[in-house]
Order: sequence, then C-alpha cells, then structure tokens
Amino acid sequence: MVGDIVARDGAAFEAQMLGVAIVIYLAATALSVVVTASGRARQHVTLGLVAIALTFHTIAIAYRWTRLGHGPYVDMFEILSSNVWSLHLAALVVFLSLPRLQPALAATLPPLAVLTIWMWLTPAKDTLHPVTYATIWLPIHVTLGKFFLGLVTPATGLGIIVIGRRALGITLPSLPDSETLETYIYRLLLIAAVFQSLMLIAGAAWAQNAWSRYWAWDPLESWAFVTWTGSLLFLHMRPRSTARPMLSAAFSLLIFGLAFYTFFGVPFISTSPHKGAI
Amino acid sequence: MIETFRRVLRRLGSVETTSVLIVLCAVIALLGIFLPIRTSNWMVLPFALLMANLLAALATNARLKSQSMLFAFHAALVAVIVLVGLDRLHAMHGRVEVAEGSMFDASAVAAEHGLLHDLRLGEVRFLQGPFEITYAPGMKRRETESVIRIPEQNGGWREVRVGDHTPLIFGDYRFYTTHNKGFAPIVTYVSASGDSRTGAIHMPSYPMNENKQGLAWTPPGATKPLKVWLHIPEPVFDEAKAWKFVKPTNTRLVLIDGDERHELSVGEVVSLGSAQLRYDGLRSWMGYTIVGQSMIHWIAAASLMACLALLGHVLSVLIYGSRIPAAGAEHGG
Repeated sequence: MVGDIVARDGAAFEAQMLGVAIVIYLAATALSVVVTASGRARQHVTLGLVAIALTFHTIAIAYRWTRLGHGPYVDMFEILSSNVWSLHLAALVVFLSLPRLQPALAATLPPLAVLTIWMWLTPAKDTLHPVTYATIWLPIHVTLGKFFLGLVTPATGLGIIVIGRRALGITLPSLPDSETLETYIYRLLLIAAVFQSLMLIAGAAWAQNAWSRYWAWDPLESWAFVTWTGSLLFLHMRPRSTARPMLSAAFSLLIFGLAFYTFFGVPFISTSPHKGAI
Repeated sequence: MIETFRRVLRRLGSVETTSVLIVLCAVIALLGIFLPIRTSNWMVLPFALLMANLLAALATNARLKSQSMLFAFHAALVAVIVLVGLDRLHAMHGRVEVAEGSMFDASAVAAEHGLLHDLRLGEVRFLQGPFEITYAPGMKRRETESVIRIPEQNGGWREVRVGDHTPLIFGDYRFYTTHNKGFAPIVTYVSASGDSRTGAIHMPSYPMNENKQGLAWTPPGATKPLKVWLHIPEPVFDEAKAWKFVKPTNTRLVLIDGDERHELSVGEVVSLGSAQLRYDGLRSWMGYTIVGQSMIHWIAAASLMACLALLGHVLSVLIYGSRIPAAGAEHGG
C-alpha cells in the first residue's frame, strides 16, 4: 500500500517535471522560428530555454530511472522521452559549439517538436525491464545510437535550410552560404557514420547475448542496415558530386527519415521477436 | 589482354559500381523484410559482389591507396564479409529439450549446420538439474537459472548454473536457456515381450500451452500412437501475481487408446493390450538453443578494426580536410 502511494506520487512528480519541460521545449521551438525569421544571427534565449527544459526533463528521467530501476528504453514512452532529451541535448551542444549556425535551430527544433508532442500524447506506464535487456551491451548500443541520431538531426536542420533556399528561394542571410552549410552537413554525417557503425556492432553483441545470434535480418536489423547503407552511399557519392549542397541536404533528410523510422517506427510495427522493446 | 583485365578491374572497383551495389544490398535487405529470402542464397549474392568490388577497389583505387585509414576501413570490411561467410559455413544452430534428471542426448538435437561444420555434439555430456524461472505479475517472464551437472574424470560432478545471459559452454558450442520449457511425465512401458523401458514424455511448452498439455505418443515397439494428456487439477499460477515455475502436484496422466480412456495417478499401472504402462512421476524439461560459432570473436575484432579505421579517417578529414570558410568570409544565399 505504502509502495503504491510512493509510486503514484513519484509518477505525478515525473509528470509535472515532464510537463514543464514539454512547455519550454515547445516555447523554444516557436522562439527559434521567430528569431531566425527576424534575421538575427544568434539564438541565445532559445538555447537558454532548451537548457532549462533539459534540466526539468533530466529530473523527470532520473526520478523515473531511480523509481523503476532501469533506463528509459523499454516502451514507446521511454524511447521517445530519452530521444527527445538526447536530441535536444545534441542540438544544444552542436549549436553552442558552432554559433554561426544558430539560425538553423529554426529548422532543427521543429522535427524535435513533433517527437515532443508524440511523447506528450503517449501514456507513461510503469515498465518492467525485460530479461534480454540485462546486458551491458544494451546501454552501449543505445548510447551510440543517441550519438548517431544526435549528429544527424542538426545535419538535417542544415539540409532543410539548403533545400529551402534552393526550392523556395528563402535567403536567410544570417546563415553561411549553402556550400559552407554543406561542409558542416558532411562532417556531421561523417562523424555520425562512425557512431552508427559502432551502434550496429554493439547491437549485434547484444543480440548474441540475448538471442544467441548476432544478426538475423529481422525487420529492425534490416532497417538499421538500410539506414547504414544510406550513410555509405552518401559518403561514396559526395566526392564526385557537382551539386554537393543539394546532394548532402537530400541525404541528410534521407538518413534522418530512415533512422527515424528505424528508431520509432519498426520496433512498434514489427511482430518479430527482436522488436527493440522485448 | 592485361590492359583489358585492368580496365575491367577498374570498372569493377569503381565508386559507381560500389554505389550500385550498396543500393542492391539495401534493396535485398528490404525485400528480406517482406519476402522469405532472409535465409536464402540470394542474400549472399549482393555481398559477394560487394566483396569483389571492394577487392578491386583496394587494388585499383588511387584515393584508397593514398589514404591509409580509408584503405584499412575497406580492407576490414572485406575481412568482415569473409569472416561472416566462413562463420556461416562453420556455424551450427540447434534446439533440444532435456528433462530434469536426464543426460543430454545429442541424437535428440534438431540441428542445422554449415557445409564445413564438424558436428561434435556427441562429445557433450551433462545432466540436467533443477531449474528456476520467475514471473512478474502479468505473466512477464523474469530470470531463468538452470543447474547443470557435468561429469568429471574422477567420477564426480561439477555443477554450473546457466541462464539468460550465461550460456553453458562446451568448446565452440554454447547452450542458451530459452522460454521453451514444460512438464515431462515419467513412464515405464513394459512391452508384450517383457522389455521394460523408462522414459520421459515431453508435454508441449508451459505455460504457453497451458490448456493443451497433450500429444500423440507411440510407445517403444508399438505401431499405434496413444493420445496422452497431463491433467493438472490445480492451477500452477495466478496470472495477476508473481510466481515461480513449479511442477504441479496431484497430476494425472490420461491415456486414450482407441475407444478406451485411462486415467493414472503417480504409481498406477494400466494394461494396454498385452503391454503395461506405469506413471512414475512428473519432472520438468528445459529447452535449449545450441549455437556453434567459432568465428564470432574474429568478426567482432574485424568490425571494431573497421570502425577504428573509419574513426581515423574521420579525424584526418576533420583535421586536414577542406577548411570551412571563417565567419564573414562567405555570404548567405
């Protein structure tokens, strides 16, 4: 009985912390669009809001982790929550490190707002840590995946800017030219490819540990492989391309789309044993 | 002739060919999601072509040769593909059920193995001890711990405990516990000629087949199967509560022999024509997945080498690659 009350109060506290974080995340997203549209080159307030939202979100995740005894990677809510957290953190670090790119927050945060709203609409149930998750390879795999997607997301934001300039005639003079943005996209995707490769290896080690096979071409593995081939194809096509900004922008969107589907779509559609949540 | 060969090699190792083959690999992987080709030889084809492309590129591509980390990455990828191929040829995958108190029987293994695998399961000897499986409320399976006793040369037994992430290891063979386990009535069958044999009848997996604890079983030497059911009078678990996998008590063995129905408690005997069958008691059985892999450490090492080489290449690009114009050196648009 006492345990139930503690759990109920704990869940309510998490929900409050998360609710505050969600409101601030969405406010930061709206502000980023307004600031970039007004032609300003820096997004200090936006990044400050993201940092505040991350603080509240971190408290919510840490409290849940302590209460349930496992990390946030078991069900849809937890996967969304941990990714909303890690992708905002990645955006914060990337755009603080590369201040001249800060106007691109207006293209980077809106896709994250979709995830944030999705998380908001997903019921936060208490979860049990599956037996197959009790291996060191899982947190390694998950962390590498977050680095991968965390690097691809700002590259996608830059890609949206490059395509927007070309297709819609948007100038955004507060940002570097598209050739320079392309160099950043390339570098972000290149580093992401390393984390992506390591993520696949760690995932194979986990699968060997959990299901006694390192690779079985189940839907999640197949989509992860297809996403990896997207990165490889980009790295092979770029050197010979005569239209690098559009090529890199298109691939940033393609890789993000494939990764998004692999991370958030396949595990909850597939009926195979390796569902990413079993 | 040599020039033609070089031209073909250059074409085979070209970036354009690589791009086409990468797309082909992706398409095959995607098709594998929707079509039953995951285990077919069709999966091998694009990767074999990709390996040929990689080898040709390593031999002919000037950029690869001039960048050691890029060269190492591609060479490591070749190694990964070769090792995975060898692993498939040497690998073995099997399933077996072992009843508590019984020795592992290699002939009971349903195995698939590669062309080069030297099947040596006959050398594996162990006795299945008791096992424990816990369930959380809502029928959520938790930890599995299975006690295994391995005979030693001095006549004694060595006890090991295996479970979810701790396989039983015999040379290159690894035995993993699975969700598959159930009950095994022990019966002694005395044939019409007086031959007596005691053995276990493995009922379908439990609790997955909670309401289907029956099967067709042909006694040794008989030609006609019997229908055998295990009657469990009291539920073993309450789905809403946490529970442990335990053998039920007061079970009865139901035998249907044509139009005749017999129900036996432990220790009771029934006549089946001129033969007899005695229900000796109930044990449990554990299902294992057996994996024979001798290459996984090499594959892991080659994969890691590939990643480290790619990391080295990335660092060289970031440090020595094309410089990004400084702020103010470019204009928007």
